[in-house]
Amino acid sequence: MLTIKNLHARVEQKNILNNLNLAIKPGEVHAIMGPNGAGKSTLGYVLSGREGYEVLDGQVDFQGQDLLEMETEDRARHGLFLAFQYPVEIPGVSNMEFMKESVNAMRQHRGEEPLTAAEFLKKAKEACKQVQLPLDFLKRGVNEGFSGGEKKRNEIMQMILLEPTLCILDESDSGLDVDALQVVANGVNSQRDGKRSFIVITHYQRLLDYIEPDFVHILANGKVVKSGDASLAKQIEQEGYAFLGLDTSEEASA
Amino acid sequence: MSAWLQQVIERGQGIDDWLSPARARALDALSNTSWPTRCTESWKYTSLTALEQLDLTAESAEQPSTVEPIPGVDGLDLVFKNGVLQTDLAQLNLPAGLQITSVQTTSAVQQVIATTLFSQIKPKHHLFGLVNDALAGDVLFIDIEQNSHIGQPIRIISLSTGGHESHHRVLVRLGNQAKATLIEQALGQQNSLSTGFTECDLGEQAELEHYRLAMHTGEAIYFGGCHFCLHHHANLNSTLIGYGSQLSRTDIDIIHNGEHAKAKLNAVYLLGESEHFDLHSTIEHAKPNGTTEENVRGIVGDKANAVFNGRIHIHRDAQKTLAELNNRNLLLSRRGQINTKPELEIYADDVQCAHGATVAEIEEEALYYLMSRGISRSKALVMLNYGFIQELINQMPNQQLAQWLEPQLRARFKEMEVR
Amino acid sequence: MTEQIQEALSRKYEAGFVSDIESETFAAGLDEDVIRRISAMKNEPEWMLEWRLRAYHNWLGMEEPDWAHVRYPKIDYQAISYYSSPKSMKDKPKSLDEVDPELLRVYEKLGIPLYEQEMLAGVAVDVVFDSVSVVTTFREKLKEAGVIFCPISEAIQEYPELVKKYLGTVVPRSDNYFAALNSAVFTDGSFVYIPKGVRCPMELSTYFRINEQNTGQFERTLIIADEGSYVSYLEGCTAPQRDENQLHAAVVELVAMDDAQIKYSTVQNWYPGDENGKGGIYNFVTKRGLCHTNAKISWTQVETGSAVTWKYPSCILKGDNSVGEFYSVALTRGHQQADTGTKMIHLGKNTKSTIISKGISAGQSNNSYRGLVHMGPKADGARNFTECDSLLIGDRCGAHTFPYIESRNPTAKVEHEATTSKVSDDQLFLCKQRGLDAEKAVSMIVNGFCKEVFKELPMEFAVEAGKLLEISLEGSVG
Repeated sequence: MLTIKNLHARVEQKNILNNLNLAIKPGEVHAIMGPNGAGKSTLGYVLSGREGYEVLDGQVDFQGQDLLEMETEDRARHGLFLAFQYPVEIPGVSNMEFMKESVNAMRQHRGEEPLTAAEFLKKAKEACKQVQLPLDFLKRGVNEGFSGGEKKRNEIMQMILLEPTLCILDESDSGLDVDALQVVANGVNSQRDGKRSFIVITHYQRLLDYIEPDFVHILANGKVVKSGDASLAKQIEQEGYAFLGLDTSEEASA
Repeated sequence: MSAWLQQVIERGQGIDDWLSPARARALDALSNTSWPTRCTESWKYTSLTALEQLDLTAESAEQPSTVEPIPGVDGLDLVFKNGVLQTDLAQLNLPAGLQITSVQTTSAVQQVIATTLFSQIKPKHHLFGLVNDALAGDVLFIDIEQNSHIGQPIRIISLSTGGHESHHRVLVRLGNQAKATLIEQALGQQNSLSTGFTECDLGEQAELEHYRLAMHTGEAIYFGGCHFCLHHHANLNSTLIGYGSQLSRTDIDIIHNGEHAKAKLNAVYLLGESEHFDLHSTIEHAKPNGTTEENVRGIVGDKANAVFNGRIHIHRDAQKTLAELNNRNLLLSRRGQINTKPELEIYADDVQCAHGATVAEIEEEALYYLMSRGISRSKALVMLNYGFIQELINQMPNQQLAQWLEPQLRARFKEMEVR
Repeated sequence: MTEQIQEALSRKYEAGFVSDIESETFAAGLDEDVIRRISAMKNEPEWMLEWRLRAYHNWLGMEEPDWAHVRYPKIDYQAISYYSSPKSMKDKPKSLDEVDPELLRVYEKLGIPLYEQEMLAGVAVDVVFDSVSVVTTFREKLKEAGVIFCPISEAIQEYPELVKKYLGTVVPRSDNYFAALNSAVFTDGSFVYIPKGVRCPMELSTYFRINEQNTGQFERTLIIADEGSYVSYLEGCTAPQRDENQLHAAVVELVAMDDAQIKYSTVQNWYPGDENGKGGIYNFVTKRGLCHTNAKISWTQVETGSAVTWKYPSCILKGDNSVGEFYSVALTRGHQQADTGTKMIHLGKNTKSTIISKGISAGQSNNSYRGLVHMGPKADGARNFTECDSLLIGDRCGAHTFPYIESRNPTAKVEHEATTSKVSDDQLFLCKQRGLDAEKAVSMIVNGFCKEVFKELPMEFAVEAGKLLEISLEGSVG
């Protein structure tokens, strides 16, 4: 599904990713952990094509296509979804309008007829219920005045509606209480169908109690320094990153 | 004295009707007015060259003058074409408490009332307001009796077509506790000159829901104004939509002439191509305990030029006034320009007044967010642009009107050149 | 409470005394001959006289501006004397010891003990008494650093190339009515040159004071900070009490070359006129700085004096990444009128400006902020933030805000906010309940209101500004 080879990238003249390699097959869940500043969020932005994130070297193959050659919206239409750590607020543009536009862009890409307003509303309501957001959230401006937890749930709702093939969850657990965490995890798990793949970026093992990963990768200084199975996350929870010989002072001070 | 102004005065002197005494005052003022230049503060960013060079003799195809109804808005339509009232007032089926007359049909009693409105609410310093005083042909007088609640929106359409100069005037009186909705729509796109001024007197506790759609585009030169006088506890809710033409200017004055009056003014302007739109608003708080909330948002693309001057004036004894003005602008193009000046002039200490103005572009972060969900850049821009003004459109009390406007507004963004 | 305030408000102007110094003054009137005489008195080279005369002719063709929110009787420019020099200054003093002791006492009364400043604050003071620079301290020490700090009349003699190169480049001769007049008749002022890479070892300071009756003061200041240099310049102004209005039309030009920084601070306390609005200084000043690449100019002003103020210290942000700042406190009381603010002209890429303006109006005064933020077509990524707050004390005064925003660049961002408030009864009650009197409470509240600006002033100046505000405000609660 996704093969990242020798990826180097920088932001504002600062090299963040240095020779990052990663391969993800359909249906797999990969967790990415690592100290602050390791490049975890940068990976998500580079893969989704955010402006200002400059790829210096390397290839990314996404379902047989050169991902780095595509525009942000084309990557999305090809099935790449990023759940943002800090979703932006867009006053004036309603969630409903935004999602309908977005869902139909995907459908059009797949050669399907756009959904009618009624069809879309039905789907949106279901998704809304699934992430336990009140229906009036559909009418409100995109993320406008949402709490941190509501924003995260809104991201998951979008994921459910857009039916992507690869989902990147950027710290979708941060700032959530246990109940909200469960809602997010259930949303994600409902989308696990053996074909869809996930990259779960997180600081904490606790999310991985709900979303069980097939692989855990430790990212440090812009590359994968250790990979393993779910037990690696548990080891980090107990021992920190120190056993990997990483300097975690930055995290301690953060 | 400009040649243009000179001929206005000469033509004005030739009009003889019961408004003549008022017209004479305007002519007198005009002959003492110097022609605005870029050094004239209220015309600093708007050049009158297009008017000076106006040639109305050029042939142009006659435009159809049919007026589309607004779906869901069962309006009482009054149509001016090139300043001439097309609607037969006698044929109108008016609800009780509402009288509509024109200058020719106004009864002696109504003339007395109309004289207390004509050029009495509109401040004397509006140059083209004075021109309108002098030259307005069909003057419409809408009189709403006290305690009358007129549910049906009164819609006044003024069309200007190629090769014409026109001046129309509307006077509105709402008696105490009266309620009404007024939709004013001005449009035209061919080579023409029109002025349209409206004066509204809101009696005690009267409520007016008002819309001004300044939709002149292209070659049509337009000077318009809306002037409101609010008495004790009166309530005005006004929305202005502005397009731009080669030269389009609107002046709004809201005068709090009684205590506890409330005014809300939302304005939106969307300009593309080489359009020019100039909005000057003045809120006069002459009495205590008044409230004003003004929100103005503009989007400028292509080579367009937006001018906004928003003045709030709190008079010496207008204590406990609450007044706020917020102006936000998006500049989309390198060749466009935005000139904005919110002004506060305050002579009372126990008031809460604030204004804010911003000029920016669409946030890259929002654009990226939309694109990361598969929406194309151009579509995302239209969505974000519309979103920027949608907050104000959503506040329009008449949502049928808002829905009718929406596709038209969105279409304007589609045609705009970005950066 | 109101009575206390009125009582305190009627307090006399502290700097209002006339010193009895013999002086040489031109008869009133302005023509080419007067300009030639000024130039001759100063032993100026021919090019300087030519420059003055051209400015004079520019001025003759101009009209006095009337757009400011101020009212004053028409000025008779022929009734003003354009040159006044203390007689005892004919033989210039070489050091403070040679300065007329009467003069020194004047400064002492003003609270500017030169010796003390010299010793304690390490401030170099270029004192302008009416029109002639009296003495310049610390010249030697500055010379070591390569810094030139001298009266501009002297700079015209000794550094003609520098003066010729920069004079009138930021504020052209014909920039505006008052600048043109100044260019024609300026008598003295300060000249500063900071060489490349030099951080000026001390804060430079000039005190201006108008003494002679009916003399206009037209000082001219030119500060050049060469590449990578830094200078902080302080300007303080006082004027004695006079019945007739005195005209003050100064010009200040700042040039900040690449990577240079200039910090210019003013405390202005000219005579504001009496309680009936009689007398007082007309302060019509043009101050402007030009920033080259990565340069920064910061204007800080505390304006409490003058009957009429017309002043807009501005920045032309020509170089990429250059920064302009304007921090202002303007206090008006009695019948004072102030129309002051700034212009930030963004021409270069990624230029940034910040405007913080605090207006305090009391009595029957009118206080206006007038500002322009211009984003030019090439000012990609430029940013401005403006905050204008007004505080009204009493219900007979006015507070006004006139910000002009002009944007020609879609990537530029401008943000302007303005608010108006008063010293609330609740605030006063709280302070009084805690044992403070009304005066102290108001001064505390006003000082808090101005904090953002005061923190930009150099330490000694901030203390002085705070005191000045306290004196000006005493009791102004309504």
